[in-house]
This record gives sequence, structure tokens and C-alpha cells, in this order.
Amino acid sequence: MENKKDILSRTYLVYIFLCVFALAILYKICIIQFKEGDEWKAKAEAFNTKVFEIEAVRGNIFDVNMNLLATSLPYYEVAVDINAPSIDKKLFDGKIDSLGFMLSELFKDKTSKQYNKILRKARKSGDRYVVLKRNVSYKDLLVLKTFPIFKRGKRGGLVTLQTNKRELPFQMLAARTIGMSRPGIKPVGLEGAFDTTLMGVSGQRLMQKIAGDVWRPINDENEVEPKDGSDLITTIDINIQDVAENALEKTLIKNNASHGCAILMEVKTGAIKAIANLTRNGKDSSSYSYSENLNYAVLNATEPGSTFKLASLMAVIDEYNVSLDEKVPVGNGEVTYYNKTIKDAHAPAEPVLTLQRVFETSSNVGVAKTIMKYFSKDPQKYVDKINSFHLNQKLGLSIPGEASPLIKNTKGPDWSGVTLAQMSYGYETLLTPLQILAFYNAVANDGRMVKPRFEKEIIKNGKSVKTFTTEVLVEQIAKKETIKKAKIMMEGVVLNGSGKGLNITAFKVGGKTGTAQIAKAGKKGYGVAGDRNYQASFVGYFPADKPLYTCIVVIYNPSKGAYYGGLIAGPVFKEIAEKVYSSSLDFMEPINNKQNLLTKAPASIKSKNDEMLIASNALQLPVKSNATEGNYVSRNTIDSTSVALVSNNLESQLKKGIVPNLNGLSAKDALFLLENSGFHVKLYGMGSVRKQSIEAGQKFNRGDKITLILS
Amino acid sequence: MRKDENSLFYGIDKITILIYLLLVLMGWLNIYAAVYNEDHQNIFDTTQKYGKQLIWIASAIFIAVIILIIDAGVYTVFAYFFYGFILMACIAVPYLGREVKGSRSWFRFGDFGIQPAEFMKFATNLALAKFLSNVNIEVENSSRRNRLSDLLKNYKNTFIAVLILGMPLIVIKLLQDETGLAIVFVAFIVTLYREGLSINFLIFGLLSALLFVLSLIIDSRTLILIIFIISSLSFLVIKRSLKNVIIVAIIALAASGIVLGTNYVYQHLEAHQKTRIDVLLGRGTVDLKKEGYNVNQAKIAIGSGGFFGKGYLQGTQTKYDFVPEQDTDFIFCTVGEEWGFLGTSVVIILELFLIIRVIFMSERQRSSFSRIYGYGVATVLFFHVAVNIGMTIGLMPVIGIPLPFFSYGGSSLWSFTILLFIFIKLDAKRLVILR
Repeated sequence: MENKKDILSRTYLVYIFLCVFALAILYKICIIQFKEGDEWKAKAEAFNTKVFEIEAVRGNIFDVNMNLLATSLPYYEVAVDINAPSIDKKLFDGKIDSLGFMLSELFKDKTSKQYNKILRKARKSGDRYVVLKRNVSYKDLLVLKTFPIFKRGKRGGLVTLQTNKRELPFQMLAARTIGMSRPGIKPVGLEGAFDTTLMGVSGQRLMQKIAGDVWRPINDENEVEPKDGSDLITTIDINIQDVAENALEKTLIKNNASHGCAILMEVKTGAIKAIANLTRNGKDSSSYSYSENLNYAVLNATEPGSTFKLASLMAVIDEYNVSLDEKVPVGNGEVTYYNKTIKDAHAPAEPVLTLQRVFETSSNVGVAKTIMKYFSKDPQKYVDKINSFHLNQKLGLSIPGEASPLIKNTKGPDWSGVTLAQMSYGYETLLTPLQILAFYNAVANDGRMVKPRFEKEIIKNGKSVKTFTTEVLVEQIAKKETIKKAKIMMEGVVLNGSGKGLNITAFKVGGKTGTAQIAKAGKKGYGVAGDRNYQASFVGYFPADKPLYTCIVVIYNPSKGAYYGGLIAGPVFKEIAEKVYSSSLDFMEPINNKQNLLTKAPASIKSKNDEMLIASNALQLPVKSNATEGNYVSRNTIDSTSVALVSNNLESQLKKGIVPNLNGLSAKDALFLLENSGFHVKLYGMGSVRKQSIEAGQKFNRGDKITLILS
Repeated sequence: MRKDENSLFYGIDKITILIYLLLVLMGWLNIYAAVYNEDHQNIFDTTQKYGKQLIWIASAIFIAVIILIIDAGVYTVFAYFFYGFILMACIAVPYLGREVKGSRSWFRFGDFGIQPAEFMKFATNLALAKFLSNVNIEVENSSRRNRLSDLLKNYKNTFIAVLILGMPLIVIKLLQDETGLAIVFVAFIVTLYREGLSINFLIFGLLSALLFVLSLIIDSRTLILIIFIISSLSFLVIKRSLKNVIIVAIIALAASGIVLGTNYVYQHLEAHQKTRIDVLLGRGTVDLKKEGYNVNQAKIAIGSGGFFGKGYLQGTQTKYDFVPEQDTDFIFCTVGEEWGFLGTSVVIILELFLIIRVIFMSERQRSSFSRIYGYGVATVLFFHVAVNIGMTIGLMPVIGIPLPFFSYGGSSLWSFTILLFIFIKLDAKRLVILR
């Protein structure tokens, strides 16, 4: 009995043990589901759903002719979930070798063996996110999607992550003006200025986490669809930009200059057609290269030097109605005010020059003396006049970073006895190249100052959203008479003055050279020769008779000996101007009017192919011959400048016994063709066939009679 | 009456079969929920796991019927044969079978695989029952303990019994590296206990386990110091005879040996096993995205279920593959998430009821073979239920063993079915089988 009792107690112990454990489990489940329930629930949600931002596609930037200047291309990180439940063993084993091979063929970065190894290893270790390749283009992605396993779509385990990369198809061209926009950096250029327009609105997508740190969208559609950015059409013409950038680079290299810029602006509208900014990179001459690093045109305010003389002389002329023939005694080209001696670069040819000549030869002494003569008693009058030219204010450009100009004021603390004289020929003053250009453009535009602009239109899905119009800064900066005189002076510069070397014969140019001395960094004042840097510039407009464009070229720190604006900046100006001249229809208008011959030619002529070609060549008409059979062709006018020759199957139709359309055929050709086919032909009138007695398309027999009316 | 006795279903325990069928059906529905994907909504689609499970279930029922048809005597007579045969298969499989997910324990036939180690459970149970009932002595009976010859004899029997359990354990652990499958055999100690194994063994075992855990938590030198202090203090209570001193010294040294041994073993464990233990003990920084991921996800799934659950097929955690092995070892999460507290309670109660039913049935056996076998069944089932649910809810380290009748997997379903139905057959013939 003791034995039985022992067994019973052991049995009970087993039961108790079981029950204790069962209770422990139940207790733990209660804890998890009730006490900690909310916490786990919250975790479940936090853990497995998250709102992801979907980047909207950034808008494109176009040039004025809809060439792409900046665009976003999608790139993909391609990964594979090789352990996706939908990829079973049979599929994996069966297709893995060919998949590895095709991956290797497509990306060419690993052998098919290596890909095979990676995939097999991932399969074995249960890895659910194996990155195959980053920066895969959309084109390659499409190919990828046709690969074995991957082609099963959603169930093929292919996971892609899209990122957009900004690309500039023309690379360096206008790169700094196109600019960039990235989080963490100051916005640059048009990308920065029109950031919100281009950016669009991000969408939202609710994603759910699945095992292995992979997120998948919960719904088929996005919670908030991203709104893609609008496109910006700029005023830039990439062809002219190309010329500007190349010409500028050539000159910078030739003169080993540190940097430079060139801008072309449309006179009437202020539209910037080209804007090139180049900086020298590299430590020594062997590694020098130039690239778009800084937008000097916009943010580099320096002492303008001689190009400012136009403003000074216009101030005098406008205020006192001074004649261009006014005599200015320049002596031997030296004058001293207080402690400052002003010298001319070249000793003047005569001791007394006319005002026109002072400007043409860019005499510092002449300009300073003229200004001192009229304004030394009331310098503020001069300052006010300069300010009325809008030279003391920012232009208010759309792109960020414009530097403030500096025009000193007589009441300011930095105004000294020599300031007026110094200002008169472009020192103690700060202006950016674009600000100078805007002023010259106002003169070319008969006194109307317009704001330079880079933006033409904003479009969305091909439809115009906003068109930018020309903004007038000053309706009339000076009297008409003053403007007229200013133009005469500027044309004189190119004809007989410092800009003579420009040597443009096809059209007239007005402009001004500038050679400013710039203190080297760390040196005070303008230093002695060798310790100073130069800034060579040329600014002008063309064609002078009817100004269409203004252009400024500034070369900083040329270091090959030459430093005069006319010599260094002039050639860049010339190259740009000639390119614009040769490609702009505005210049061609009169020529077109005279030679509008083609539109008067009859719409349809039928003749022999070779005769047609000879005739067209003689008339210098571009001809495209599509004649494939037979000798006879019809001429189709494509437009006013070109012609196409099309075979009209006259012979083959006649061979089939069908009367062809003879309209436009000459009497000689008509007779030749018809009589050879057995017709009896009767002709009335002269010229080419207009009417035929048997209509085209009718059957005929040899010996039939046909009557043709010619006119 | 005679006719009834010969009928297939005469004397079988209908309650057990009902619970069995319920569990299998619920398991199948939950596997469907766990694997559910919109591309394959047909629950009979045999390219999917739930479809395959249906085939497994059908074949398991077929096997059950065969078992019920076969004469009960076969299981007694061929007990050692089954044991030997399946043990050989277990030894052979690493060399003959194909490797699947790094495991070398499968014989594969097309899409289906068989894991011989699963069948070792019922074979071992049969062999143990046969051995213990044949010798017709309890392994160790306290009333006879004083007789030295009995002691020796009993220790020899104990040794053989432990050998029967130890061989499959070692083969499966060392050759196949299937810790989950191997550790089950430790559970048979409960059977031995019921059959008279000294409580000292269990105490020794429990103390070892306690030391094992402590040595993982506490620095080994500190722990050994504590052991010796406690040993010294014990002389305040017990008689300070030479014999006692030697015994205490041996115990203290053995305890220190366990501590050092544990440390050694722990240091030489594979990384994933180490982290599993670390996760359970809450040691070090547990990265919830890596080591703690399974259990954390399982808890999230169960915890977010609440009282009534999210509803059938509505579980997000399990449906979107958050929980790894959610159709096999972590199937309990699916239940917890979609059926809530109610569901988990039902599953636990059903499993527990089945175990208690089996123990109850064991106690009514006349033959010790049937009784010992029944205890073995209960033990194996209990061990699986306890460890599986325990690991799912973070009570135990993660050991990959299935939830009986519930988890996806043909081998385990077949194995549990065979294990259970042999006992049902034995029970049905309890009036006939006397020994």
C-alpha cells in the first residue's frame, strides 16, 4: 500500500506540475494581451506602418528653344528579396543560373559566377534584401524586369528604390546660372530662384513593414499623389551660350586670366540670351582648367573703371546740355587733385580734346576734368544724377545673391576731396557686370531701363502657367538728346577709339572699353605696376542702327602682359555678336523680302526629274528628290525655301492603259508621252497642261483621241 | 458483443479523437491565415502550404486508421525494431538526405520532405515502455532502496533506460544539429519519475538547471564563492561527521564544475544560440531588429490581438510576414493576433485537456507497457506545448519545436498522430492487454 501511495503522490505531482506550467503560460498571455496590450498594439502600429514621402518629379529647365538645360533622371537602387515566399525552391533552383548570367551581362560588374554566389548565399541565410546594384537607369530597369524570376512582377522579389538625379545635358554651359538646389546649401541660380515652382509637392504613401527591413505599400495607390513640378523656360539660347562660353574660355586661357564673365541681353525685353561665368581651377599652369563655379555676373561687384565714364559724361550732358564738341584741356595727360594724381594710360595726342574724343580715347584726365568743372561746387548733384540712372540700386534679379552696388554719397563718411574725380572715371564705386550691362542696355533702348531676366515662361504638362513680361525699372533714364549723344560717343569708340580693334564689318557696333586697376589682395590702394591686377572689359550694343542686343565681357586678372579692355574683352564680344548676327532672323529680314521667289512659283509642275534638278539648282532652291521610278516627277512645295520632287508614275500608268493626270505637264512632254502610248493628241493654247479631254483614271486604247488645253 | 469487440472503433476513446480532430482543423485554418496571400486564395491550392497541410492531414488520418486496424500486440513486439530502425535512419539521413535551409535532417521526395528524427519520438517511447515493463521492476523503488543488490540492479536498469533516451538525443543533436528535436528526449525523465525514479534525480536536475541559469547571470567566481559559503554554512544544520564533510565537499565541487562547465559550454555555443539565451535573460543590449526580433514580433502579434482578436485573416503582423516561422513554430502568434485571448485560451485548454486526458487514460491501464507508453505520450505532448508556447511568449529561449497537431509540417503531424493513435489503440485494448 505504501507503494501505491507513493505512485499516487507521484501522479498528483505530475498533474500539479502540468497545471502550474499551464497557469504560468496563461498568466503570461494575460500580461501580454491585457496589461501590456496597448503598448504592444502601439508598437505594432509604430513598427509596421510609416508614412513615406514620395518625391515629386522636379520640373525641367529649358532654354528659349526648348532645349533641355536641366532635368531629373530617375535612378534606381535595385535589390532582390530572394527569399520571398513566392519564390519557391523549384523556381529558385531552376532559374538562378540564368538570372546570374543575365545580371552579369547587363551590369558587367561581376561575373555570372559571382552573382550566382551572392544570390545563393542570400537564399541560404534568409536575407530578404540584397542590393544588386545602385544607380541603375530606367532603361536598364526595364531590361531587368524581363529577367527570369524578376519577370513575375510583384512576386518576383525585385525591390526598387527610386532616386532622382539632376542632370545638366549641356554640362558646363550656363551651369552656374541654372544653379542648383539641394538641402543644406544656399540656393543657387535659377534652380534656387524657382525652387518651389520646379519642386512640386511631395506625395505621401503609407507603407507597411515586412520582415527583413523591407517596406511595402499598403494600398495600390498613394495616399497623397505627388504633384510634379512645373517646367521653367528660360531666356537662354543654348547655341549662343555655347559660343559665349567657348569664346570666353579661349580668351581666359590665352591671357591666363583668373576668371571672367560674358552676358548677352536682348535690348527691348531684358531677356538674358547667354551668361557665361568661368573660373580658373588648378594650382599651376600645367593643371589649369576653367569651369562654372561662381556667378560673377550677378554677385561680383567691383570698381568698373572706364565703362563708368559713360554714366559720368551722360550726367554732364543731361544736366548741362554740353555739346560733344566741347573742348577739354587734357594737357600731357596728368592732373592732380589734392594728393591724387590722375594719369591717362596713353599720353593724349593733343593737349585739347573734344568731349567725343575724350570718351573715344577713354581719357581719365579728360573725364575727371569735365566732371570737376561742372560738379565740383555741388558734387551731390552729380551723385543724384548717377542715382537717377538706377546705378545705386540692385536690379532685383530673380536669381539669388545679387551684390549691392556702391555709389558714394557726399554726406557719407567715406566721401573725400578726391572722391568726385575718382568716381568720374569709375573708381570708389562698385558695380556688378550685370548692373553695368543693364545701364548700357537702357541707353541702347533709348533711355528705357528694363530689368534683366532669365525666365520666360512656366509651363506645366506643356501648358503655359505663367509668362514673364519685361519689367521696366526706369521709364526714361535721361533726355532723348542725351541718349542720342551717348550713342554717338559709343559708336565713335568702335570706329575711331579704344574699341577700334573690334573690326566688325557686317554691322555697326556701339560700346565702351574698360580697363580698371584692382588692388591685389592684401595690398592697399592700387599699388605700383606689378602689384596691381587688371580688369579688362567691353560693353556695347549691336547693331548700332537699331540695337537688338547688348553684351558685356569682363576678364579679371589677365596675366600675359596685355590688359586693355579693347584687346582682351573685345574679341569675345566680337565672337558673340557675329554668332548672333549669323543666326538671328531679325538681321535677315530685309534679305528675305528681296528674294521671295519661291512662293510665286506655280504649285504644281510636272517635268523630267533631271531637268527639274538642273532648274532648281540654277535657282539655288534646295531640292529633295524622292523620285523612285520613271523620268517624270511632280514638284511639291514644302515651304518657301525647299522643294520636293515626287514620282507621279506617268509612264507606268500609261503602260497599264490608264490615262494619268497630265496637269502641269509641258506641251512637249505631254506630246512625247501620249503619242508614244498611241494617242492622237490635239493641243490648244500655250504653256503647260490645264485640262484634258479624257479624265485621269479612265481606260484607253491605242488610237484614242485626246484633247489638251494649255495655259 | 463479440462483433462489437472486433469492430475498428470498439473501445477507442472518442473524446481524445475529437480533440485531435479539432486541433488539426484549427491548425489548418490558422496555417491558411498565416500563409494567406491574395494570389492564392483557394485553401485547397496544393502549391501553398495550407494545401499541402491538407494532404498531410488526410494522410495522417489514413495512418491513424491503419494504426487502429493493426493488432495492438505489434507495437509491443516490434518496439525495439522500430527504435533500432528509425535510429539507423536518423544516423543515415545526414549522409543520404538533402540539405534544406542548412539542416541535414530531411529525406526529400519532390515537394515533400520527411524528417526521421520526428518519428524517433514514438519509437523511443515504445522502446522505453517495453524495457521498463519487461524488467517489471520500477526503476528505483524507495521501499527497497536499502538492499544493495537491488540498488545496483536498479542503477543498471536506470542506466539502460537513460541510454534508450540518450542515444537518439545524441544522434539528433550531434549528427543532425536539431536542438529542438533532440531536447524532447530529456522530457522522458518525467516518465521515469512516474515509474519510480528517485526524486533526487529530479532535484539534481532542477538544481543543475538553476545553477546553469545562475552561472549565466552571475560571474562564475562569485557564484563558486557563494556555493562554498553555503556548503560551509550547511554544517551549522547537519552533523559534522567525516562522511557528511566528504558528501558536502563532493556536492560543492560538482556544483562548481557545473558552473564552470556551463560557462565553457556557453562560450562555445553557436552565436545564434548564445543570443537566444541572452535575449531570454535580457542580457546585454538586445537589438529588437535582430536577435530579439522573433520574440518581440511574436509578442506584438499576440499583444495586439486583445481579447477578441483582430478577426480571421485580419492579422497584419502575421499576414505581412513580420513573424518568422509563423506557420510552423510561431503559429501560436497567428492564433493570438487573429483570435485574441479567447483563441489562445481555447488552444491551450484543448492541448492541456488532451494531455490530461492521456494521463488519465494512462492511469487506467492494466498493463505497465500501456501505462508507461501513455505517460510518454503525455510527456512529449506537454514538453512541446510548454516549450512552444513558452518561447512564443518569451518564457523560454527560442527552440525550434512545433505546436502538436497545430503547426505546419507533415513529419511532426504524422509523428504526433502515430504517437497518439498507438496509445489510443493500446487503450482500446486495455481490457485485453494485461501486461
